[in-house]
Amino acid sequence: MTLRTVLRNEWRLLAADPALRVVLGVFAVLFVYALANGMAWAGFQERTVEAARTGNAERVEALEQELADIANGGRPSSPFRDPRAPNVLGGARGARTAVLEPGPLTALAVGQSDLLPYYYDVSIYTNEATFQQNGEVENPLNLMVGRFDLAFVTVYLLPLLVLALSYNVLSEEREQGTLALTLSQPVSARDVVLAKLAFRAVLVVGLAAAVSLLGILATGGFGSPGRVLLWCGTVTVYALFWFALAAWVNGLRRSSAWNATALVGAWLVLVVVLPAAVNFAAGLLHPLPSRVEMITAQREASNDAVNQRSELLARYLEDHPEMAGGVVAEEPGLGALAWAATDAVNSRLEEVTAVHDARRADQLALVRRYRFLSPALLAQEVLVDAAGTGDARFARFQSQVRAFADEWRQFFVPAILASERMDAGVLPDVPVFSFVDEGPADVAGRAAVPLLVLGGLVVLVSAGAAARLGRVRGAD
Amino acid sequence: MIKHIARKEFTDVVRDGRFRWCAALVGALLLVSLGHGWVQARQAQEELAAAQATARDHWESQGEKNPHSAAHYGIYAFKPRLALSFVDEGVDPYTGTSVWLEAHRQNDFLMRPAQDATAAQRVGALTAAQVLQNLVPLLVILLTFGALAGEREQGTLRQLLATGIGRRELAVGKALGVAGALALLLVPAAVVGAAALVVGSTGPAASPLARGTVLAGVYLAYFGAFVGLGLAVSAWARSARTALVVLLGVWVVNGLVAPRAAVDLSKWIHPTPSAVEFAHTLEQEMAAGVDDIQRPDRAAFGERLLAEYGVERAEDLPVNEVGLYLQESEEFGNRIFDRNYGALWDTFERQGVVHEALAVAAPLLAVRTLSMGLAGTDVEQHRHFATAAEAYRRDMMRQMNLDLAENSRTGELYTAGPELWAEVPPLQYDAPTLGWVLGNRVLSLLVLGLWLAGAGLLAARRVQRAEVA
Repeated sequence: MTLRTVLRNEWRLLAADPALRVVLGVFAVLFVYALANGMAWAGFQERTVEAARTGNAERVEALEQELADIANGGRPSSPFRDPRAPNVLGGARGARTAVLEPGPLTALAVGQSDLLPYYYDVSIYTNEATFQQNGEVENPLNLMVGRFDLAFVTVYLLPLLVLALSYNVLSEEREQGTLALTLSQPVSARDVVLAKLAFRAVLVVGLAAAVSLLGILATGGFGSPGRVLLWCGTVTVYALFWFALAAWVNGLRRSSAWNATALVGAWLVLVVVLPAAVNFAAGLLHPLPSRVEMITAQREASNDAVNQRSELLARYLEDHPEMAGGVVAEEPGLGALAWAATDAVNSRLEEVTAVHDARRADQLALVRRYRFLSPALLAQEVLVDAAGTGDARFARFQSQVRAFADEWRQFFVPAILASERMDAGVLPDVPVFSFVDEGPADVAGRAAVPLLVLGGLVVLVSAGAAARLGRVRGAD
Repeated sequence: MIKHIARKEFTDVVRDGRFRWCAALVGALLLVSLGHGWVQARQAQEELAAAQATARDHWESQGEKNPHSAAHYGIYAFKPRLALSFVDEGVDPYTGTSVWLEAHRQNDFLMRPAQDATAAQRVGALTAAQVLQNLVPLLVILLTFGALAGEREQGTLRQLLATGIGRRELAVGKALGVAGALALLLVPAAVVGAAALVVGSTGPAASPLARGTVLAGVYLAYFGAFVGLGLAVSAWARSARTALVVLLGVWVVNGLVAPRAAVDLSKWIHPTPSAVEFAHTLEQEMAAGVDDIQRPDRAAFGERLLAEYGVERAEDLPVNEVGLYLQESEEFGNRIFDRNYGALWDTFERQGVVHEALAVAAPLLAVRTLSMGLAGTDVEQHRHFATAAEAYRRDMMRQMNLDLAENSRTGELYTAGPELWAEVPPLQYDAPTLGWVLGNRVLSLLVLGLWLAGAGLLAARRVQRAEVA
């Protein structure tokens, strides 16, 4: 009797078992439902990004048109919205929309993309408060519960499929009395379990990978092969962890019922209880101050700023000689005074944000440290990250938007301070935002540690299982 | 006889080491999450109340200015935490906490706490509601799966029935025994919760104690349904193991699959516009009007006013034309906002109904809806506050515009002072009554009632028909 025989017999057994067919069928349906949801969301985001771009283009075109009309002797539509004024051309009227393309594998993991903003209108007035704006219009109830996507099915439900298929690979043989017979052949218990689990692993991982690849194919995600590889690798390693755990529990030589209870208990603790407990501990040990004080600070700063604009302007010019570029109008214009006030408010906001972010960093550090307690947390993090819908990519986008806003100000503020007027001639030189997406190395770098730990767990549990199973003889 | 069965079941359970560990764990989590939730909610509410007071102070101390400038300056409104929100934070982390009330515009609520968290934290924190909705039913499953199947496997079921006990009595006795064991855990939690309510939560709430009592009743009904379901499956299953597997399957569908499936289903059935679309529609309608809501024409408005007062020039009007026109366009804007925000909120509520309807497959959805409703942390009560804040904004703007219209003449430079700012009453928010909440939640109440009755009937039937060996 060889491993091939074991595999062939396993296939026959599985094919003959109606319960397993039902389980596999149910999971196939869950996978497809999850994929359909993800694809619907990815499509929605594509259309939204397109609409945001079109809106931006229309706005710029209207502005160009008005500037051209004025150059030909026309009058501005309103003296307060005269596009020749740099604080109008660089302000809300001339704002440029900075867009984050949906993550390459958004269809597989919605991640944070339903919560965090993925486009901002950038103008000279972009400040820290801008980054507090809401993301997509979404029912808070739906945000709270989270989406039924492939990442969810993989992290939460896939382990249950693994356990259902493998909790009794060895114990059942013993309970049916076939173990002694099997082991009388030139094959060890370890090999039998390995063959059986390998067979099931191919089935489970194959199902998960097939659905994932189907989704990737349908949404053009193959443009980032590195992400696809990372996704499939993570799904495989995560599934293997649960197979290894099942092998280990089978090696304890208990009854099938005991195995089932122990494995479901492990799933509960690792997938449901620990992640929630980690978040609970984070909230308990490092409570996050609310953003409420940001509003108060902003208000107070702008109240003060209005009353002392001249002083603020003097201080601003001292702090930012590069902005004035040696050209300041003799009599500071209203625009220059207003800008000084705006800048004072922005600085105050940055102070408040810095304090808040420092405390937030403490909380995140704790969450990051304790995520190693739960393979589910690790897998979820890598999967969402691989999909390009994780926190890191949004943080990258935000920091690039910040830099772009700075560049934008560098372009317009000197003209404001000098009370200059602008015309259509400056438009080609206006800064342009283009998102520098993360490369495969960035994503892989972040995924390395969690994946190594997850892989290490698989090796560790497998070794334990192998040692246990090595001691199984047909007689016991 | 019921008493004996119940006492035996209770003693069995309480002596079981596994139960003791699980119960101690769940009980500790429940108490800690209640306590932590209470402290947090209190702090948050104090912070919000302080911020609201500061905002009022800013409003009152803005000095001499034109009322319309004051209207542009506006005021911030902060959403208060209701008294019971420490039990169930509901959608609060996903709704904004404050809104700027200014001239011409209805703004969105900003500063969603969840935006400060990571993807991992969206798995959900361990709140008292989470423990009650997910972990306690699991405990109930552990308590009930062997109640009859186990006795049958050990052969004691035959002996038990040989004593002449009725099967109904057996079922009731078993249920009471399990309930007694659960009470060891739930009574202290209820006492702590009630104490926290009585000691005081600073937030506004209509009848917090009544809400709390109904909340306790809702959770009891939920656990009762699970006890019934557990006994029914235990009586039906051939082995304790089968019973456990089936019940765990129910638990997974109830707590994990159904809630998420409802999210995407609700979005398929009732799609919401994208933020870009929503803003674009609003902007367009504000600029050009829509259907029978037409933007007031400045010139025509002026003409009409002149005709009404029978004067030739705007300067001769006994009122300031600008103030009246501002109010006229404010009212035009309000109708546009009502139309757009109203439709959006209605879509959210219809999506909520999909969640509620799916409760026929998963009682958690009914309980969650009721729990958030009673705690005052559901979407509907967010809307309730948003509506109150918007109504306040409109009153405030009207007051500013009419002051401008009545106390100055067209073309005149006019400023008002602190007396006018102080005349605007502070924002007073009255949380909705218990009747309002329950009236919104008839569907969930009904479905939960059906689950309780159905599980009870099923248990009775299954125990009646249970095989002895």
